[in-house]
Amino acid sequence: MSEQKFERGTSLSIFVSDRREDLGSLVFALLIALGIVLVVGK
Amino acid sequence: MVYTKKSPALFIIGLVMLLWGWLNASGNIDGVQQYFQKSAYSDHMKVKEKFDAEFRVASEMAAAESKPAPDMKMPHSAFDKAKAFQAKMCYIFGGVATLLGLLIMVWTPKEGNLDYYLSIFPGMAYILLIAFLVRWGLDPMFGNWGKAAQPTLGWNFASIFNLNYVVLGIVIGIVIVNVFKIPDWAANGVRTARFFLKTGVILLGALYSATELAQLGAISVLLIGFFVLGSIGIVLYMGRRMNTGNSMTAVLASGVGVCGVSAAVAASPVVNAKAGEIAYTIGTILVWGVGCMFLFPTIGHMLNMGPVQFGAWAGTGILNSAQVAGAALAFDPHGIETLKVAEIFNITRVLFLPIVVLWLAAWYVKHEVGAEKVDLGKVLFAKFPVFVLGFILMFALSTMGAFTPSGHYQGKYFSGEQIKEDKLLKGKETKAIEAELARLKEPAGAKALQDHFTDKAIVIGQRKATPDDAYKDLADLIANKRMNTREQDKLLQAVAKMKGLDVLAQSAIEKADKAAWHSSKTIGAFRDWLAWLFSFGLIGLGMQITMAALKQAGGTPLIIGGVVGTAKAVGSLIVVLLFVKEFI
Repeated sequence: MSEQKFERGTSLSIFVSDRREDLGSLVFALLIALGIVLVVGK
Repeated sequence: MVYTKKSPALFIIGLVMLLWGWLNASGNIDGVQQYFQKSAYSDHMKVKEKFDAEFRVASEMAAAESKPAPDMKMPHSAFDKAKAFQAKMCYIFGGVATLLGLLIMVWTPKEGNLDYYLSIFPGMAYILLIAFLVRWGLDPMFGNWGKAAQPTLGWNFASIFNLNYVVLGIVIGIVIVNVFKIPDWAANGVRTARFFLKTGVILLGALYSATELAQLGAISVLLIGFFVLGSIGIVLYMGRRMNTGNSMTAVLASGVGVCGVSAAVAASPVVNAKAGEIAYTIGTILVWGVGCMFLFPTIGHMLNMGPVQFGAWAGTGILNSAQVAGAALAFDPHGIETLKVAEIFNITRVLFLPIVVLWLAAWYVKHEVGAEKVDLGKVLFAKFPVFVLGFILMFALSTMGAFTPSGHYQGKYFSGEQIKEDKLLKGKETKAIEAELARLKEPAGAKALQDHFTDKAIVIGQRKATPDDAYKDLADLIANKRMNTREQDKLLQAVAKMKGLDVLAQSAIEKADKAAWHSSKTIGAFRDWLAWLFSFGLIGLGMQITMAALKQAGGTPLIIGGVVGTAKAVGSLIVVLLFVKEFI
C-alpha cells in the first residue's frame, strides 16, 4: 500500500496524525479499563 | 476520493460469523469443539459425571418417596462457557457486519466522512474473522499438536517455537499479503491495526505494579536490571554504528533486552517500527532462543550448576518466556525449583518494560529528529508518543491499586480467608495428614524429610527449611483444614512432592493448595482484552509485511542480536556463578 493512495491518514493509519491516533487509542483504552472496573469489579 | 468499495464481502463475512455463532449455540459442532477446546471439554465431562451421579441419587430418593423426578439443571462447564462466548462474539460482530454489509451493497458512496469511516469496516471484519480463526482454531490446534508430539520429541514444539496467537497471527497476515494480496475492499480497514495495537500497549500498563517490583529481592532486581538495560544500551549503540535504522534498532533492543516477542511488539508503535522490522526482530529472537534452549541445559550440567543457579541464569540470559521455561524443564524435568526460580527472574525482567518503553521513546525521538541540534524538551513535547504516557498512566493507576489489589497481578493470588466452606479439607483427608505427620516425626521419616528438603534446596526466607517447619505447618493445616499463609503453602507443596508420601495425604495437601489460590477476574478481563487487541493488531501488521520489506531489513540485525544475546548469556553466567549461591 503506498502512502499516496490515501488522501487521509497514512499507509499505516486511518488517522491524519500520529498524535491523533495516540489520543484515540488512549481514550479507547481508558474506556475499556473503566468498563472492566465497573463490570468485573475490583 | 471515495473509499468505500461496493462489494458483498462485509455482508458475507457477517453471515459466516452469524452461522458460526448459531452452530455453537445450537450444539451442532460440539464434536469439532471437543477437539479444539480439549481441556475445557475434559472439565465438561467431570462436571457432567458429577451432575449425573447427583441426579441419579436425587431421582432414586424421589422414587423411594413416590415423588416426581427432581428438576435439576447441569451447571455450566468451561466448555459451555467457551461455546457461549464464541456464539456471543459472533452474534454481536456478525450482526453489525451483516447490517453494514447490506448498507454498503445498497448505498452509493459519496465523498465525505460517512464514506471514509464506513470503508474501514470491511477490512476490520476481515481481520476479525481471521482473528477468530487464529484464536479459536489455529492456536488451540497447534497447542494440541505440540502436546501430542511431546512424548516422541521430548519437548513441546508449539510452546518452544511460540506457535500461539501472537506468532500465528503475524504469520497468517504475511501469508495473506504475499500469496493472495489484500483485497481492495479491505485495504482501509487494515490501516486500523496500529490503533488497536497502541490501545493494547496502553492497557498492558494495567498489568504491572511497582509494588510487585518492590517485593522482589533487591539483588535479583539489580542483576536483571543491569542485564536488561545493559543489553538495550549495547543494541542501541551497535545499531547506530552499523546503520540499521532507528526504528529497527529500537525494536531489536526491546526484544533482546526485555522478554522477546511481546516486548518487541510493545515497543514497535513507540518507535514507528515498520511491520517488516517487527517480523525480523521476532524471527531473530525466536531463532536465537531455540538455540539457547538446547545449549543452556547442556552447559548447566557441564558446569554442575544447582537448580537455583541455573534458574537464575536461564531467566536472565534467554530472551523468550516460553523458551526460559523450556530450558528450565530440560535442565531439571522432575523438579520445579529450577522452573520457579527461572520464572521469578523472567517476570522481574518483564517488569522493566515500562522503563524500557519510556527510554526507547525518548531515544527514538532524539535520534529521529537530530535533537542534538535543537531543544530536546520542545522536540519531546511535540513528538513524544502520547500513548506511551497512557501506558505509564495505567502503570501508575495499577500501582495505586485502582484496578486490583497488589499481589493479584500474576492473575492468581493467594488468600486463606477467601476459601469456601466446601473447599476445606474433609475428615478423612486431615486424618491421612495426621498419620503422615506421625510417621514423619519418627527418626526415619525425619531423615527422609530433611534429605528431601536438602536435595530440592527448599528455603524459608533466607534460611534452609527444616523438618520442624514442616511439622508446624502440617499441624496447622490439620487444625484449620486450609492453608493460612503463602509460606505454609510453599513449604507443604514441597512436602507433597516427597517420595513415599501417602497418596491421600499428598492429594489433600494439593487440594488445600489449589483451594487457597484464586483467579483475579479483573486481571483476567484485562488479559482477554489484550489478547484480542494484539491478535487483531498483529494480523493487520502481518498484512503489511511483504517479502520485499523483509529483504530490506538485511542481515545486520541478526548479527547485532547474536552478539548482544551471546554477551548477555555469557555475562549473566559469570555473575550467576560468582554470586547467586550467596543471596538466593
